[in-house]
Amino acid sequence: MTQGPWRRGVLLGALLALAAPGVARGDEEAARAPMPREDRLKLCASCHDVDGNSKVPENPVLAGLHPRYLVQQLKDFKSGTRKSEVMGVIIAAVDEAEFDGLARYYGKQKPKPTSAKLDPKLVAKGKPIFDDGLEAAGVPACSGCHNEDGSGGPKYPRLAGQHPAYVLRQLQRYKSGERANDQRELMREVAQRLTDDEMRAVAAFIATLKGADE
Amino acid sequence: MRRLLVILSVGLPGAALGGDGGAWGTPLPELVQVLALTGDASRGQEAFVVCRGCHKPDGAGVVSGAYPRLTGQHARVIMKQVTDVRAGVRQNPKMKPFAADHAVSTQEIADLAVFLSQAATTREGGKGPGTDLARGQALYASKGCVGCHGARGEGNAERFFPALAAQHFAYLERELQFIQQGTRGNSHPEMVEAVKGLEPKELAAIADYLSRLPDHRKAAAAKK
Repeated sequence: MTQGPWRRGVLLGALLALAAPGVARGDEEAARAPMPREDRLKLCASCHDVDGNSKVPENPVLAGLHPRYLVQQLKDFKSGTRKSEVMGVIIAAVDEAEFDGLARYYGKQKPKPTSAKLDPKLVAKGKPIFDDGLEAAGVPACSGCHNEDGSGGPKYPRLAGQHPAYVLRQLQRYKSGERANDQRELMREVAQRLTDDEMRAVAAFIATLKGADE
Repeated sequence: MRRLLVILSVGLPGAALGGDGGAWGTPLPELVQVLALTGDASRGQEAFVVCRGCHKPDGAGVVSGAYPRLTGQHARVIMKQVTDVRAGVRQNPKMKPFAADHAVSTQEIADLAVFLSQAATTREGGKGPGTDLARGQALYASKGCVGCHGARGEGNAERFFPALAAQHFAYLERELQFIQQGTRGNSHPEMVEAVKGLEPKELAAIADYLSRLPDHRKAAAAKK
């Protein structure tokens, strides 16, 4: 029963690899990775939904995240470099050989806007932080690494449309040092310079971003 | 102009060799390393992603002067300043963590320097009030600035003296104040000497004059 989708996955992967000549080495290999098994997707869907657009504000939207970013996070959960009570338990049951396929699957899902209710005042306060940073505190613009539309990439993740509760929690964790798997240790430094109110504001603005159309 | 440069460098041999906390004496070991590397502009463009949040995607900095324009700066100057910041020789606590070795590798410093020195300047910089430009120009000449930073504010790559033309007014003004107060940390002793006793208005006039000079690369191209 699992053979059908598995074979289709291989074929699709091969076609994708052919269709995208510009992708970096390593990416090609990942693009050929077989799609995840259905029982595996069910496990992930219990928190992140079938299409990766989690409805639970604390659980991140995975849809549209760059596969290389997703693979890195899965590896970090597995090794304990990124700590999470929930993912730490779940990931123990997932073999590393499955990571590429899982990342490819969620990377391909279409992100939907968050259903979280947003305070327009917070959104307005967050926009200049995202676009230009805070000069007095030395906060760089989020747009510098995550792109002006929040579309992100393989190293600095897509933020557009992410649940504000999740973004806020991650910023707080970077600030406390609880999360320490950031690219080049940059987010820990950035979060140090943000107040809780500023974090809430920028998280609200991020939720309104649409990211690039694909 | 050339004579002045010779007089300055001959007249102050101690300053050229020793001086300010090693910033202008024996080069930092990492600067020596960076200078020996071959920088690559396309790799530099990639590495620049980390800098964009403050220096803006085009590297032209901000008019407020909080972050300087980097485009068109001499590669050797960028190499020196970045290695100085990360070694803590230049006092810049805001930038230091983003210039640390976990954020930028030694090779990337060389790459960034080459990329930025070649990158086009697409935006006008911030300018001062424009009310004291004649005094600014006169001070720039009489205080010996020309000897090191050039008549067109083009700097001196060989000697690590920055290009100043078309830099944001507010940034130039602030750095002149820092140099005068001794808080920049890696000021050249001759530079400290040059601004000694100048009034805030005079520093502002020099900064305003320089901010209005065209990008030194444009000026050099026009001269040819």
